[in-house]
Amino acid sequence: MTDTAFTEHSADPSLHDKGVPSHATSTGVSNEKLAMWVFLGSDCLLFGGLISTYLLLRHRSVTGPGPEDVFDIPFTSVSSFVLLFSSLTMAMAVGAIHRGDERRCRTFLLTTALLGAVFIAGQVYEFTSFVKEGLGYTTNIFGSAFYTLTGFHGVHVSVGIVLLLSLFVMSVRGRLGAERAETVEIFGLYWHFVDIVWILIFTIVYLIP
Amino acid sequence: MAIVERPTAPLELTTGQVTARQPLGGFTRPQATTGWRSWLTTVDHKRIGIMYGAAALFFFVIGGVEALLIRLQLAAPGQKLYSADLYNQLFTMHGVTMIFLVVIPMGAAFMNYLMPLQIGARDVAFPRLNAFSFWLFLSAGLMLNTSWFLGGGADGGWFAYAPNTGVTFSPSHGMDFYALGLQMAGIASLVGAINLVVTVLNMRAPGMTMMKMPVFTWMGLVTQLLLVFALPVISIALFLLTFDRLFDANFFNVAQGADPLLWEHLFWIFGHPEVYILILPAFGIVSEIIPVFSRKPIFGYPFMVFSGIAIGFMGWGVWAHHMFASGMGPLSVAAFALSTMFIAVPTGVKILNWMATMWGGRLRFTTPMLFAIGLVTMFTIGGLSGVTHAVAPSDTQQTDTYYIVAHFHYVIFGGALLAFLGGFYFWWPKVFGYTLSETLGKWHFWTILIGFNLTFGPMHVLGLQGMPRRMHTYIADYGFEFWNLVSTIGSLIIAVSMLIFGWNIVASWRAHRADPVDVGPDPWDARSLEWSVPSPTPVHNFDEVPTVSRLDEFWHHKYQEDETGKVVRVATGAEAAQKGDATDVHLPSPSYWPLVTALGLPLIAYGLIFNLGLAVVGGLVVLIGAFGWGYEPADDPEAGHGHLGHDGHDDGHDGAEAEIEGGEAADATAGDGESQPAGVSAPTASASDERAASDD
Amino acid sequence: MSTGQQPAARRRRFAPLALILPLVLLGACAADAPQDTMDPAGPQARSIDNLFNGVFLVAVVVFVVVEFGMIALIVRFRRRRDDGDDDLPTQTHGNTRLEIAWTLLPAVLLAVVGFFTLRTLFDLEQRDDDDLTVQVVGQQWWWEYAYDLDGDGEHDDVLTANDLVVPAGVDINLDIQSNDVIHSYWIPRLNGKKDAVPGRTHPLQIHADEPGVYVGQCTEYCGLSHGYMRQRVVALPPDEFEAWLEDQATDAEMPTEAEAAAGAELFTTQCSGCHLARGINDAEFEEQGSGTELIVAENAPDLTHFASRGTFAGALFDLWVDADGDGFVEHDEIGGELNRADLEAWLRNPPDEKPMDAPYVPEPGGDKVRGMPNFNLQEEQIDQLVAFLATLD
Repeated sequence: MTDTAFTEHSADPSLHDKGVPSHATSTGVSNEKLAMWVFLGSDCLLFGGLISTYLLLRHRSVTGPGPEDVFDIPFTSVSSFVLLFSSLTMAMAVGAIHRGDERRCRTFLLTTALLGAVFIAGQVYEFTSFVKEGLGYTTNIFGSAFYTLTGFHGVHVSVGIVLLLSLFVMSVRGRLGAERAETVEIFGLYWHFVDIVWILIFTIVYLIP
Repeated sequence: MAIVERPTAPLELTTGQVTARQPLGGFTRPQATTGWRSWLTTVDHKRIGIMYGAAALFFFVIGGVEALLIRLQLAAPGQKLYSADLYNQLFTMHGVTMIFLVVIPMGAAFMNYLMPLQIGARDVAFPRLNAFSFWLFLSAGLMLNTSWFLGGGADGGWFAYAPNTGVTFSPSHGMDFYALGLQMAGIASLVGAINLVVTVLNMRAPGMTMMKMPVFTWMGLVTQLLLVFALPVISIALFLLTFDRLFDANFFNVAQGADPLLWEHLFWIFGHPEVYILILPAFGIVSEIIPVFSRKPIFGYPFMVFSGIAIGFMGWGVWAHHMFASGMGPLSVAAFALSTMFIAVPTGVKILNWMATMWGGRLRFTTPMLFAIGLVTMFTIGGLSGVTHAVAPSDTQQTDTYYIVAHFHYVIFGGALLAFLGGFYFWWPKVFGYTLSETLGKWHFWTILIGFNLTFGPMHVLGLQGMPRRMHTYIADYGFEFWNLVSTIGSLIIAVSMLIFGWNIVASWRAHRADPVDVGPDPWDARSLEWSVPSPTPVHNFDEVPTVSRLDEFWHHKYQEDETGKVVRVATGAEAAQKGDATDVHLPSPSYWPLVTALGLPLIAYGLIFNLGLAVVGGLVVLIGAFGWGYEPADDPEAGHGHLGHDGHDDGHDGAEAEIEGGEAADATAGDGESQPAGVSAPTASASDERAASDD
Repeated sequence: MSTGQQPAARRRRFAPLALILPLVLLGACAADAPQDTMDPAGPQARSIDNLFNGVFLVAVVVFVVVEFGMIALIVRFRRRRDDGDDDLPTQTHGNTRLEIAWTLLPAVLLAVVGFFTLRTLFDLEQRDDDDLTVQVVGQQWWWEYAYDLDGDGEHDDVLTANDLVVPAGVDINLDIQSNDVIHSYWIPRLNGKKDAVPGRTHPLQIHADEPGVYVGQCTEYCGLSHGYMRQRVVALPPDEFEAWLEDQATDAEMPTEAEAAAGAELFTTQCSGCHLARGINDAEFEEQGSGTELIVAENAPDLTHFASRGTFAGALFDLWVDADGDGFVEHDEIGGELNRADLEAWLRNPPDEKPMDAPYVPEPGGDKVRGMPNFNLQEEQIDQLVAFLATLD
C-alpha cells in the first residue's frame, strides 16, 4: 500500500522502483551503502597519498637496507594470495545471506576473518624479520615510508577483522537474518576495497623494482 | 516497512524493533529536549547547525584578537610589543583558527541547518554522526587553543612547511598540537561531509531532482565532495608530520634524503580545494539572497550550478600555483599557471550571473542584500588579484608578500565572511524567530566594509612595495610605515563593526523578548523550501514532506501566472507555508555517545604529546563511546515524537518539546538509517543495534 | 527595509572602492621604497614588471566594468517608493547565448594573458653557464655566498655573507641552496624570488643595470628571526668587482696594534667553534670543527673579510656609518666610520638584538642550538673584538 501512495505524488522516477528495500531514497541506494561508497572514495585518496609518498621516497634513502635487501617476495606472495582468497569467501558470505542461508554465511564470515588474520600474522612476521635484518621504522627514509604504507593497510585489515567478528557474533545471536543481508554486503564492499588496495600495494611496493 | 508521506493524512509511522531503554545497563537514554543538557545530546541538524555557528563565532573572536595583536605590532616600524616567537605563534594560530575553526565551521553551520530544509528532508542521513562531527570539531578547536597554556601555540605557519616544523626547528609542542588538532578537525569534517553528501543525494523530497535543488544546496554538495576527497590528503600529510615529530620517522628529514617539496605538494593538494571549500558555501548563500531581494529567479540556474561544479573539478588542478617560487621547474609552473587562469572563468560566470539576476529587478537593500553585494564587489577584487598571481612570473614578485595577504583576505574575508554575515541576517528570523535590527545591521555593514577595505586594501600597496609576510616587525624608511598604520586603523574598525554585530544580536533579542513580533514563516518573500515552514523551524521541519515540481517550489506557491500570462501573487507566505503543527512525527532520539566518542579523541591527542597513559585512557573512552553507540538504536521508539508546541519563550532555542509516545513508531523520511562511522550497518535504522566499532 | 533615500548612501558605500585603485597605483610609485617590485633595475625584473603592468591593466578594466556596472545596477534597478509589493519585475530565467558569451570572453582574454605569461616564464629560464655563477646558501638567519675562482666547479674559494657582490651590467647565475629550512632569495628590483630548499639547487638569474645597492629579504617563513633575515646585492663596476674578488681570496693578517691583537687572541679562543677568519684561527677552527654538533645549520659566517661588508648579522645592521644618509651603506662608504654602537650591542648580547634559539654557550656534542649565543663578554673584551674585526678588510 505504501508504495502506491508514494508513487502518487512522486515525480522522481527512481522512487518507482519497487525493488528498493524497506525504505525509499532518492537514488534507490540505501543511505548506508551510499555512505560506504563515499567513504571508500575518500579512502582511495588516503592510500593515493600514501602510495605516492612511498613512490617518491623509496629510492631516496642515504643508508641501507633498501627494498632489495629485505623483501621476501615468495613469502609475501603467499600471504597476498591468502588475502585475495578471503575476498572470495567474503563474496560467498554475501551470497549466502542473500539466499537466507545464515549458517553458511556465518561459516564464510569466520573463514574470511581467519584468512584476514593469517594475512596480518604474515605481516607481523614480515615486519619482525625486517627489523632483525636492520630495517627499523627510523632507520632510513625507505623504512619510514614502507612501514607507514603497509601499516595503514594492516590497520584497515585489522579493523575489518574486528567488524567481521562482530558480524559473526550478531549472526550467532540470530540478528543477522536475510533481511539484513545488506549489512553484510556493505561490509563486503569495504573488505574488497582493502583487498584491491593490497593488490596495488603489493605490485607497487614489492614487484616493481 | 516503507514509509510514505500522505499529503492529506497525519503521518503514519511504522515501527522498528522495540529495544532496551538502557542499552548499556547503567545509562538511561537521554530524554531532555530543553535545557542545556539537551544541547549536549541533541542529534537535531538545526541545533547542531546553531552550535556550529556559535562555536565558529567564538573562535572568530579568538582569531580576531590574534589578528588585532598582529596589527598592533605592525602599526609602526621596529615595534617590539612582543617577541618574534610569540608573533610567529600569533600569525600561525590566526591562520589555523580562521580557516579551520571559523570559516569551515561557519559554512558547516549553514549547510547543516539549511541543506536538509532546502531538499525537504527532516534531518540528515546520519543524525548521530552529525552530532559526533560537531563535538569532534569543537574538541579539536579547544584542544588546539589549549596549546597557548601548555608551552605555546604552533609556530610553523598554517602551511607548516617542512622541515621548519620538525622537532629540530620547532622544539615546542606547538606543532604537535597543530598536527593532532587538525587531524581531529579533519576527521570531524570528513564524517560530516560523508553525512551531508548522502543526505543531499538520498533524502530529497519527492520530485526534488538534482536540477531543482537550490543553488546553496548545490554549492554545499560540491563543497562536501571536495572535503571528502581533499581531507584524506592533508590527513596523510599530518600523519607523516606527526610520525616525524613523535616517532622519529624520516619523511621530512633532509639529512636522510627527504625532499621538503613533498610536504608542499601534499599540503596544497588539500590546500587549494580547501580555498573552494571556504568560498563555495558563500557563493551559495549569495545565490539565495540576491534573487530574493531582486524579486527575480537566479539568472542562468544551470550555469550557476555547472560553474560551481567546474570550480570544484578545476580546483584539483591548480594547487601548485602556491609553489611558483618553490623551484619545481618551468614546465610544472607553466601548466599550473594556465590551469589557474582558467579557473577564473567559472568564477567570472558566477559574478556576471549575479549581476544579471539584479538586472531588471526591484532591488531591496536590506542588510543581507548589502552583504551579498559586498561579496560580489569585494570578491571581484580578490579574484582579479588572483589572476595576477596566475601569471607565474609576476607571482614570483608577489608571493609571500602582503599582496598575497591582501588577495586572500579579499577572497576569504570579502568573499566568504561577508556572505556568511549576510547569511546570518538572512536566515536569523528562520532560525530564532526574530529579525536582527536593520538599523544596526546597516551600521555593521558599512563599518565592516570600510574597515575591511582600510585593512586589506593598503596591503596591496605594501606587497607591491616589497613587504614580505610573516615578519614580526619591519624597519623604517622602506615606505611601509603609512600603509601599515592605515591597515591597523582599519582592523580596529573591523573590531568595532563586529562589536556592533554582537550588540545587534543582544539588542534584537532583548527587543524581541520585550515585545515579541511574529516574523511569520516568510519574512523576506523568499523562494526555497526552508521558508515554507514556521519560524523558528519546528523540530520536525516539515509537517508533511513537500512534493516538488519546480525550482523555487515555495515561491511558485505564492506567485502564479494569471490568464494574461502576468505573474501575480496568489498567496501570502503565511498562507502558502506549512503550519508546523504535526504531532506524530517520529524523530531520531538524542544520544550521549557522539559526545563521549568525540571526547576520547582529544585525550588520545594530549596523551600522544604528554603521556601515553592518557592516550590509552582516551582510546578506552572512544571504544566505550563506539560500543555504546553501536548498541543504541538510532530511534528510541519510546520517545521523541516531535510536537510543535507554543513554547514559553519564542527565541527558538527551546522551541520544541517532545511528546512521549509508547508503542508504534516509525522511521519517517528523516532519521532513518543511522550508522556508525565506518558505515557498516543495517538497512533499517531501528534494527541497527549490535554494531561494531569503526575505524574512524 | 529599503526606502527611497538609499542612493546617496549607496554612492558613499563605493567611495572607498573608488579610492583604493588610484591609491594602489600611487602607493606603488612611492619614492622611498627600496624593495619596490614596480621599480625594476635589471632586465629580469623589468620583463616581469612589463608583464604585470599589462595584466594589471586588464584587471583594472574588468574591475571598472564590474564595480561600476554594479553601481549602475544599484541605481537603475533599486526599488522605487511607488513600487507595489505585489508588483513583480519581469521574471527572466537566463539567456544561454549571453551566458556562453560571457564564459568565452574571459576565456579568450585569459588565453591571451596566458600566452604572454608563458613567453616571459620561459624567457626568464634562459641561462648561460658561462656567466659568473655564485652559490647562495640560506641558513637561519643569514645568507652565505660562495664563489668559484679556479673554475673547478667547487664553490669554495671565496666565502662571504650578507652582501652579494656582483659586477654590474652582466647576467649573474645564482645557485640557490639551503642548509636547514626553506628560505627564499628575493631582490625585488632585480628578479622574482626563488626558494632555497635544503637538498635542492635552484637556479635564478640577476642582472643589475647600474652599480648600486639592491636590498631584499628572505620571503619564505624560516622560523624565529625570519623577519630579520635580510640580504643585499652590491653591484660594482666590473673592474672594481675583479679587484674585490682578488682581495677576498687573500687571507687575513694578524693585527699588530695591541688592542686588535688582543681581540684576535680572544677571537681565536672564543669564536673558533663556529667562525673562521682565514689566516687567524685556521688551526683552532679545524680542531674545534665547523661546529658540526653545535648549530643546526652547521655553519656560521666566514669572517675573513668581515670589514669589507656593508652589513652584519644577516644584513640586519649597517657595519659602517651611512655617510651620505641615503639609507644604505654603499661600497664607497665601506671602510669609513665604523658603526660601533650596533656592533658593540651585538657582541654584548646577540640574541637580544636578533632572536635566536641560543640560550647558552654550546658545548661540543651538546644539544643543537641555533644562532649566536650570549658570551657575557666584558666591555673591555668587546672593545678588543671590535678593534680586531675592523682590521678584517
